[in-house]
Amino acid sequence: MHTNDEDQLNKQKEVHQEVDDATQIKYFGGHEYDGIKELDNPLPPWLKYLFYVTIVISFSYLILLFVFEDEDIVQKKEYRKEMMAAKAKTDVAVSEEATKTATAAPLTEEQILAAGKVIFDKTCLVCHGKFGEGLVGPNFTDEYWIHGGKPEDLLKVINEGVIEKGMISYKSQLNKTQINNVIAYILSLQGTNPPNPKAPQGEKIVKN
Amino acid sequence: MELQKFSYDNRMTRNFAIATIVWGVVGLLAGLLIALQIFIPWMNFGLEFTTFGRTRPVHTNAVIFAFVGNAIFTAVYYSLQRLLKTRMYSELLGKIHFWGWQSIIVAAAITLLAGFTTGKEYAELEWPIDIAITLVWVVFGWNMFGTILQRRTSHIYVSIWFYIATWVTVAVLHIFNSLAVPVSFLKSYTLYAGVQDALVQWWYGHNAVAFFLTTPFLGMMYYFVPKVSGRPVYSYKLSIVHFWSLIFLYIWAGPHHLLYSSLPDWLQALGTTFSVMLLAPSWGGMINGLLTLRGAWDKVRRDPVLKMFVVGITAYGMSTFEGPLLSFKTVNAISHFTDWTIGHVHIGALGWNGLLTFGMIYWLIPRLYNTKLYSTKLANVHFWIATLAIVFYAVPLYIGGITQALMWKQFTPDGFLMYPNFLETVAQLIPMYTIRAFGGFLYVAGFLILVFNVVKTIQAGSFVYEEEAQAPALEVLPDGKTSSESGHRFLERKPIRFLIVATIVILVGGIVEVIPTYLIKSNIPTITSVKPYTPLELQGRDIYVKEGCYNCHSQMIRPFRSETERYGEYSKAGESVYDHPFQFGSKRTGPDLAREGVKTGKNYKPNSWHYNHFIDPQKMNEASIMPAYPWLAKKEIDIQSTPGKIRAMKLLGVPYPDNYERQAIADLKAQADSIAKDLATAGIQTDSNREIIALIAYMQRLGIDIMNKPVKK
Repeated sequence: MHTNDEDQLNKQKEVHQEVDDATQIKYFGGHEYDGIKELDNPLPPWLKYLFYVTIVISFSYLILLFVFEDEDIVQKKEYRKEMMAAKAKTDVAVSEEATKTATAAPLTEEQILAAGKVIFDKTCLVCHGKFGEGLVGPNFTDEYWIHGGKPEDLLKVINEGVIEKGMISYKSQLNKTQINNVIAYILSLQGTNPPNPKAPQGEKIVKN
Repeated sequence: MELQKFSYDNRMTRNFAIATIVWGVVGLLAGLLIALQIFIPWMNFGLEFTTFGRTRPVHTNAVIFAFVGNAIFTAVYYSLQRLLKTRMYSELLGKIHFWGWQSIIVAAAITLLAGFTTGKEYAELEWPIDIAITLVWVVFGWNMFGTILQRRTSHIYVSIWFYIATWVTVAVLHIFNSLAVPVSFLKSYTLYAGVQDALVQWWYGHNAVAFFLTTPFLGMMYYFVPKVSGRPVYSYKLSIVHFWSLIFLYIWAGPHHLLYSSLPDWLQALGTTFSVMLLAPSWGGMINGLLTLRGAWDKVRRDPVLKMFVVGITAYGMSTFEGPLLSFKTVNAISHFTDWTIGHVHIGALGWNGLLTFGMIYWLIPRLYNTKLYSTKLANVHFWIATLAIVFYAVPLYIGGITQALMWKQFTPDGFLMYPNFLETVAQLIPMYTIRAFGGFLYVAGFLILVFNVVKTIQAGSFVYEEEAQAPALEVLPDGKTSSESGHRFLERKPIRFLIVATIVILVGGIVEVIPTYLIKSNIPTITSVKPYTPLELQGRDIYVKEGCYNCHSQMIRPFRSETERYGEYSKAGESVYDHPFQFGSKRTGPDLAREGVKTGKNYKPNSWHYNHFIDPQKMNEASIMPAYPWLAKKEIDIQSTPGKIRAMKLLGVPYPDNYERQAIADLKAQADSIAKDLATAGIQTDSNREIIALIAYMQRLGIDIMNKPVKK
């Protein structure tokens, strides 16, 4: 019985032992499904080697992580490394900047205001309005100030923030020159009468 | 040998084919709509139902489960009968499968637009629909295996291997990812929390790509490419190797969606490495498809169907090359959260799934209707428009994605972010979004040409309900393996054994990755200061999920200097342990919100800012592309649902005090009142029972648990 079946399978194989005309490749005997035949091509060698290479890469990667706890794979280490490198670079840059500022010619009033406006448009307008007319934050164009209207008052607010009101500290986002420029710009807005001004808040402080 | 006469049932094939076309129109139009909404904020037309957060899941679900899903069933119901020389097992099961699936799609569209969602991408549907999907899927499997078992061919062809793997894996993925505790008829909380939820979700999400968009389409390719070209399959050996390696490796790759997240390093590494190893098995499929056309390239030049197949298979090769690339952490650090990912998936979706489906329809419809295609010329036009559309769609997203990522990472020499305002980086993308929408428009236009061509073809032909066929009866082969047949050849004539082996192969990866996160504590270190949400915050979180905020905002700060500078301390695994579902997000169309509530942080905004911003984002910044949510200030919080939600959370292990559900409503009201009072001091008058209050409470809670430092007043 068993051998009979085997014979049948073998016979089936022989009958279908044909060759594809176009490519001269042997068909797989007995493989025909709704007219679809299959060729007896081996795996393309380059694909096989590609597979082996990806397996080797993968295992090396896993060894780097599990055995060597590599600092470019372990996330915490990677972060620490990046922060240290950044700090070293920034320290140099800041000291260079300081010497540069000390030796550079002072900016004109116009240049300061222009630089200040750039920062204002990036940072302040979200809460104080495009023209400083006030939105969630107070209006800069009237004569009223909540935390004082002198440059040093503004400096304090920008550096430390007024957290309970939503004004965050910008110490870590703006450098000293940028803060001074934006203060100059904000103070220049007084009396500009923009559309939709927010109602005055705080005390009236008249410039001397 | 005596030939048996029987007939193939074409009804279900035709039904699924027509459903594919109908849902294709819907899914693609939804895609075009969201492509416009992403840069034109008023394109929701003031309606809550059509905001991006709700229409985007409609698009993804429609194209994946409705368009591609029906295309899969079309292919299976056509090819299975012919490859097995038998009729489908049951007409009734076929009908239940067809109408069940279409009703699920309709239910999905309605519930998603109405805001019923689990908040897990591509698995947004709520629990009653999930159960329906499971039942219909079982019916599909029943019908498929019934057919396989009554076959007249001794062995099952490679297409059917892929169908079997598809069926079992989708069942496993869907059931385990959808496990949830119901709160009400259309609201549930997923069983998993935070990092574990993310892991299970992306095990599911990635393998939805693998086993819904890839393996059934490989099965389709193995049938239709040789059929249409009249050429033999290039290599049987290759099909064995790439089939098994593909289904084994794919299941492990999910964590590559969570690189640099708070997922443990070892899981991320498995995500990376298994994605890399997937390259050759994926290309095995591409090669077997393309090389099958050896000796038929002259036909490819003339036949739009084969042209579509060639470009489709090539797109598959491109996106499966890009996939491993994106799984390297260095590349992912740039691509993740940007439009690069969207470009990547659309190469696969528009190229591989779209063009293969179009080719199949152009070939199949004339055969089902015993006529010729109305216009080969129009099919050629469609081919060119669709190919061009893919270029117009993807290229701007690659450019935009890389540009934005580089802007996020740019520092000034003195150590500040060059573009601290997120919106500046968004403004760069607007022209790219415009070109992308044009690409999408072209793709839709091409599809409408197909619709016209198909309608004309159907009108000219007459439907062949039954297709006569004949074949010898199934020959009886020895029960055991014979010495002359290979092990695999033996497996091919034992379909149930094949199913079992395939099931074991696809289970390994999931088990190895998911189980240890439960058993080994160090995977998710506990943080004692992390506390459950207050009832109001919980309600706010549910609104966040309902509005689909996660479609545009992430809650996952990666450990990069550029992110901790912009958003604050990077996210820890222990922070999201009470998050059912997790809301890490996968795309930053808007900024990350993981530390939104931290008062000493970089992004803190007062309640009044949030209020105004929800009502009218453009008032706060005219360049904003966020839609307005004015209804949040009108709709009332469903306060009565609170005790039930607390109970469900307790059931999931969230440590609320005993009997807290009785206290919850009072606590909710007290917190809401205090927020309303604070808004009043800023000049905003609102009732404290509005949804906006709950959402603000949630915003102010985000990320504060590990940042709690006394704030001086």
